[in-house]
Amino acid sequence: MAVGVKVVNRPGSLGQQAYLPAIAEGLGVTFRHFVKNFFGNVTGQRKKTDIATIEYPEEKKAYPERNRGLHRLMLRDDGQVRCVACMMCPTVCPAHCITIVPEEAPDGRIEKRPMIFEIDELRCVVCGLCVEACPCDAIRMDTLDHAKPTYRRGDAILDKEELMSRGVRSTAVQGGVGAFWREQVAGQPQTPASGEVVPAGAPHGPTPLRDHGHK
Amino acid sequence: MEYGSLGFQALAATIKIVFMILGFLMPLASILTWMERRESAMMQDRLGPNRANIGPFKLWGITHFMADAVKFLFKEDFIPPKAHKFLFMWAPIMAMAPALIVAAIIPFGAPLCWGEMTEKVGLGGACANPVNLQIAQLDVGLLFYFAISSLAVYGATLAGWASHNKWAMMGGLRATSQMMSYEVTMGMAVLGSFLVYGSLEPGAIADQQTNIINFGHFHSSWGIFLQPLGFILFLTAAIAETKRTPFDIPEGEPEIIGYFVEYSGLRFGMFFLGEFLEIVVSSAIMITIFFGGWHMGATVDGFLAHVPNIWIFPKSLLFSLLTLIVWSIKVFVFCGFQLMIRWSLPRFRSDQLMRLGWQRLLPISICNVVATALVVLAVQAW
Amino acid sequence: MTTTPITTTPTPPSSSTEMVTVTIDGKTQQFPKGTVLLEACNQMGAGVPFFCYHPGLTSPAVCRQCLVDVKGQPKPVPSCYTPVADKMEVMTKSPRALDVRRQMLEFTLVNHPIDCPICDKAGECLLQKHYFDWDAKLARNDGIKIKKAKVVDIGPRIVLDQERCILCTRCIRVCDEVAKTHQLEMADRGDHEILTTAPGHKLDNPYSLNTVDVCPVGALTSKDFRFEMRVWELYTTPSICPGCATGCNIEVHHSRGKIQRLVPRQNDQVNEHWMCDEGRLTYKRVHAERLAAPMSGGAPVDWDEALDDAGRVLRAALDAGSAGVGVVMNAQSTNEDLYALARLTFDHLGLGKAYLAGLDQGWSDDILVSADKNPNTAGAMAIGAGRLRTLLDLANDLKSGALHTLLVVGTHGVIGKDGAAGALPLDRLTTLVVIGTHRDEVSAAAKVALPLCEWAESDGTFTNRLGMVQRVRAAVPPAGDSLPGWEILSHLARKLGATMEFTEAKTVFAEAKQKLPFMKDAEWGRPLLPVQLRFAGSRG
Repeated sequence: MAVGVKVVNRPGSLGQQAYLPAIAEGLGVTFRHFVKNFFGNVTGQRKKTDIATIEYPEEKKAYPERNRGLHRLMLRDDGQVRCVACMMCPTVCPAHCITIVPEEAPDGRIEKRPMIFEIDELRCVVCGLCVEACPCDAIRMDTLDHAKPTYRRGDAILDKEELMSRGVRSTAVQGGVGAFWREQVAGQPQTPASGEVVPAGAPHGPTPLRDHGHK
Repeated sequence: MEYGSLGFQALAATIKIVFMILGFLMPLASILTWMERRESAMMQDRLGPNRANIGPFKLWGITHFMADAVKFLFKEDFIPPKAHKFLFMWAPIMAMAPALIVAAIIPFGAPLCWGEMTEKVGLGGACANPVNLQIAQLDVGLLFYFAISSLAVYGATLAGWASHNKWAMMGGLRATSQMMSYEVTMGMAVLGSFLVYGSLEPGAIADQQTNIINFGHFHSSWGIFLQPLGFILFLTAAIAETKRTPFDIPEGEPEIIGYFVEYSGLRFGMFFLGEFLEIVVSSAIMITIFFGGWHMGATVDGFLAHVPNIWIFPKSLLFSLLTLIVWSIKVFVFCGFQLMIRWSLPRFRSDQLMRLGWQRLLPISICNVVATALVVLAVQAW
Repeated sequence: MTTTPITTTPTPPSSSTEMVTVTIDGKTQQFPKGTVLLEACNQMGAGVPFFCYHPGLTSPAVCRQCLVDVKGQPKPVPSCYTPVADKMEVMTKSPRALDVRRQMLEFTLVNHPIDCPICDKAGECLLQKHYFDWDAKLARNDGIKIKKAKVVDIGPRIVLDQERCILCTRCIRVCDEVAKTHQLEMADRGDHEILTTAPGHKLDNPYSLNTVDVCPVGALTSKDFRFEMRVWELYTTPSICPGCATGCNIEVHHSRGKIQRLVPRQNDQVNEHWMCDEGRLTYKRVHAERLAAPMSGGAPVDWDEALDDAGRVLRAALDAGSAGVGVVMNAQSTNEDLYALARLTFDHLGLGKAYLAGLDQGWSDDILVSADKNPNTAGAMAIGAGRLRTLLDLANDLKSGALHTLLVVGTHGVIGKDGAAGALPLDRLTTLVVIGTHRDEVSAAAKVALPLCEWAESDGTFTNRLGMVQRVRAAVPPAGDSLPGWEILSHLARKLGATMEFTEAKTVFAEAKQKLPFMKDAEWGRPLLPVQLRFAGSRG
């Protein structure tokens, strides 16, 4: 496509071409604002001015409810981390700021858990995709808090304990729509494992993951 | 000390210089650096810098200019390795000095009557031994102003050239072309005023404007009413000379980088302060030519002259002080007006700037001179 | 709805076989008689889903996921169990076929735990893929799922999750048909049917990890790879297994410069779809104790200094008497490294004493595993052309004092676990220069030791026991400062006054291909970038 040329006609009359009326009008606008804000400010009546500045340390603006802030890791009913190290969040993270090293959970009801869970808050672009990707309601950004400024870069890398320290027990229904049957069978004896050796602590109990119904 | 002796004159001039520079120009220019930010904030519905304080005294943040000065003092004085050291160091001084020098010709108050301080004073300094509140009463007056202020272009040009930086060089060239172009218009714009008042001496020009407006004897009116076109032309050219928006393409801090890009610390501070000094001085010149200097119209002047007579004080000194205050307020308001222009208008493009200077303002100013000459001739013949 | 063909066995139409004409979804094509209908459909791009079918195994038609409509048949037929017939008209996407397949999928999912977040198969799971391709709807069933055992230890290398199992029997057939052992079977009935080991057995046959590959879901997972990685983080590079002389075609799956696992790559002439468990673990040595920097006199130095030192001591040794200078080649090296070494040894230096080292013989079977544990013995023998002697000869020569200087290229098996090599009196030598991969006794005894790339770090070719020259590709970056063998030898040749100007492995290959008859049909192949499994579709 050729470059289009748009002809903009200059104002016609001499009065407009001199630009003086327009300049006067512009000066009038700024002067009006100046007078209103200046006298409102001097007389201590900030509310009557148009000034939008928030004087930060003294006055703070309330964040909207859906503000994305510092990460936290949510907890299960027994206080363990909800994360199962499914690697969804590091996969979706555009800044590659999440590092997870999984391990086999020795005693948990779920086989897998994160051994290391680190978030580099310096790299984080606060996009919130990790929260959307999480299938377990384990990671959240609803702390309404900022990443704290640090003197060393290493201090901005938050580890699992720090992330969990802000976490609370999640109120999300575990297991999704079909959860109730898991609660029913939790107390019943399990199906025998056909004579096979099942390692101690193998998760026979309900697995608090979303089931088919909630996909 | 005897009035009129060399010693007397030297002492009087020294006191006036010290007052003008340390008592007026520098403080006002310094405060303008803060005022510009605060005023622009108010225009744009912001608050502006209001934090600097001395202990519990906040004073709306006025002390920001002191904080700035302290910062400039302690910043590294960086000189680029390949820069021309001597010119690089002198360029800021050359940019700032002319503004201080031309302040010598500005009348800033009613003359003191030496030896008759306690007598009843009249208007216009009509006394036996007047001490003019003007550092140098030069007959060439405004020509001196043009001569010296045109030297300021060297500061910008040399700063750009000596920095050994392509962008600084381009900025310096833009500054040169712009300042030289608008000097022509500036000279032409005040020619009309010369014709009307018949003098080049600023004190004499100011003293003629005893009335704000007087239809019967219009010679005594303020210049703004006799030369409205001349005022607009002069104002435009003067803003261009100070290199401020809408004529700030030599600097263009955020985008195009100006001639002082390599400067830091106190040297940059001198450019910065020099710009505001130019605002103050050009405001004072405009006050002198177009707004009656320290005169506030016959009525107010008479009132001011009357005030000392009903109070026990060196009467002439008090009158001079009052007129000085009037003059200061005028200059201050005019400075504020210049700041307001900066924060209201968008910047010109380089070619628009040149076209405006040479193809619009210069022909109009020549027409203004010719028309004024014809009118003055007609009035004199009539 | 987009589907990608999952797997297709290329069945080249040969003129001798009888062809039948089949119409699939309105498109008509000829297929050899006896072709499975499922293969025919998927060659035509129909993307018919399946679980129990595997091109390398027999078809029991138990999953009923590949049902298609055939004109004239009263109900949909399992395409994996139906051979093509002449004038057959097949509708893979008729409403009835789609409906029954969706119902079958729903049925399969009724008791599946959907624990994808902790399942190692997620990302290459056929159940996931078919669900998203063909169903992707919420479940209608909110009943109680049958609980079965999770994390069942059924063998030294495998963990079983009975809940995830969809009862396709692929793993049972792998054991029966590939490993020729019946170690897995089904127990119980209906909803409670489970996969389990045969009574008195463990899943411990040497091909057991193939069950993990063929498992369409995450029921069987490898203990070695378990929880290491999500599969979509892996990159894949095609290569050849270095474990034995069979030369199984493999894919090297690696991530962040580290090999995570080896999986078989289909080659019907060599390994079909399979490889042995032992071969899968050969990657471990790439990340074992590697010689990371050039060593001179026991201290790490930079390459220039090390090459200078190596050249100087070798030149001094050659001047002292080239009859006492020997070279040890290695059957673990690529053809390119061996060719460059042979050029240097025989053509440039004119040495007479060359020996072939390699890992000791091991166990073998008549399925895939070869007794020769070196991937390139055939290539080394061909390049040596009768001039190579054994390690036993080397030991004898060392004892008799016939050698005063030795250049060892590749240290695998030079000092073996047992046998003659263990008694190598290396201290008899005045000069030992080693170009080796690992920090072992040989490189520790060397005057100058230069770090060599492992097989997964350099390009080249291996010649297997059938004489097939197969391409090995660099998958991960070299450990430390190590360089490919031909490059080190080129530098060393220059220090010794010979000119051997190889710029890349391909130029060595091209020259060897001209000079050596056994390589004349070999192909280098086109350059490949590693493919991320995230974008490679399911491997199921």
